[in-house]
Amino acid sequence: MTRTRWLILAAVLAVTIAVAWSARPHPVTEADRVARIAAELRCPVCQGLSVEDSPSETARSMKALVATRVAEGRTDEEIRAEFQRSYGDWILLSPPLLAGSGLVWLAPIAVVIAGALFALDRTRAPATALADPSADDVRELRELVAREDRDEEQR
Amino acid sequence: MRRIARYTAVALILGLALVLTLAFRRDPHDIRTGTVGRPAPEFTLPDLSGSGSIGRDSYTGKVIVLNFWASWCIPCKEENPALTEVWERYRGTDVVLLGIVFQDSTDAAREYTARLGNTWPSAVDESGRVALSYGVFGPPETYFIGRDGIIAGRHIGPIDARTLITAIEKLRTAPKP
Repeated sequence: MTRTRWLILAAVLAVTIAVAWSARPHPVTEADRVARIAAELRCPVCQGLSVEDSPSETARSMKALVATRVAEGRTDEEIRAEFQRSYGDWILLSPPLLAGSGLVWLAPIAVVIAGALFALDRTRAPATALADPSADDVRELRELVAREDRDEEQR
Repeated sequence: MRRIARYTAVALILGLALVLTLAFRRDPHDIRTGTVGRPAPEFTLPDLSGSGSIGRDSYTGKVIVLNFWASWCIPCKEENPALTEVWERYRGTDVVLLGIVFQDSTDAAREYTARLGNTWPSAVDESGRVALSYGVFGPPETYFIGRDGIIAGRHIGPIDARTLITAIEKLRTAPKP
């Protein structure tokens, strides 16, 4: 094996080990859970910011409530549901798939499928068949060629 | 096969157009809340005056007008005359006007009520939990709670006396639970 191949093998091995190391299972702390849930909740007084990212007082109150609920042993679903009861599905930055707003997830899929079907339809379309030239066309063409040949000879 | 693909593509595009049309028809100012039509969350909070506490359960069977306000909120000052009018009109009846101080210091809130001469009860929501349980976005926000304890409506922004009285009378004339 050449030196280059050894280098490539070593690089691939290093990347594999790094990915496996970062993806290893590790215990989720309460702070991790609070941060994750807060990142899924929309800050009601901000423009497109999550509770985790917003410095507003409302966001801080919401995060404190999430922390309290996590400490009480509530599940993520229960905590999200509490905010949904107050603010509706709107409070979730990612709308649930099984709600009316979940249709938004289907839009890109529908666009891709429709585009693929359209492309398929176009690529499979048979090339337009050229009609055979009529006897008159052939005769005219031959006369034209003959005329051009004569002109050429005269020059 | 080609015909099926074509029809499917057209159906998908039409479906998408329909969904987008329905989505864009919605008024973006119509901020929805999950609490209207549901039982009003219970609470017990310290009275702003410093004497005792205010609990929603103390007013069971009454029409409650719950107003979230703050001393730093300019629209709250704007709606204050309407609240005063309603408070004077329904004082001692089956209608209760309750204020909830939203994200404000107790001292500033007390100074505000003293300056404007507000005499209806207000509670201090120090942690903001009550506001979150009602789905409040920001003051002023007013909730109308029927005798059955269900939130019948919500008004975002400064409210006028006519809107207040109309909503209150609607709840007062509703059949008792």
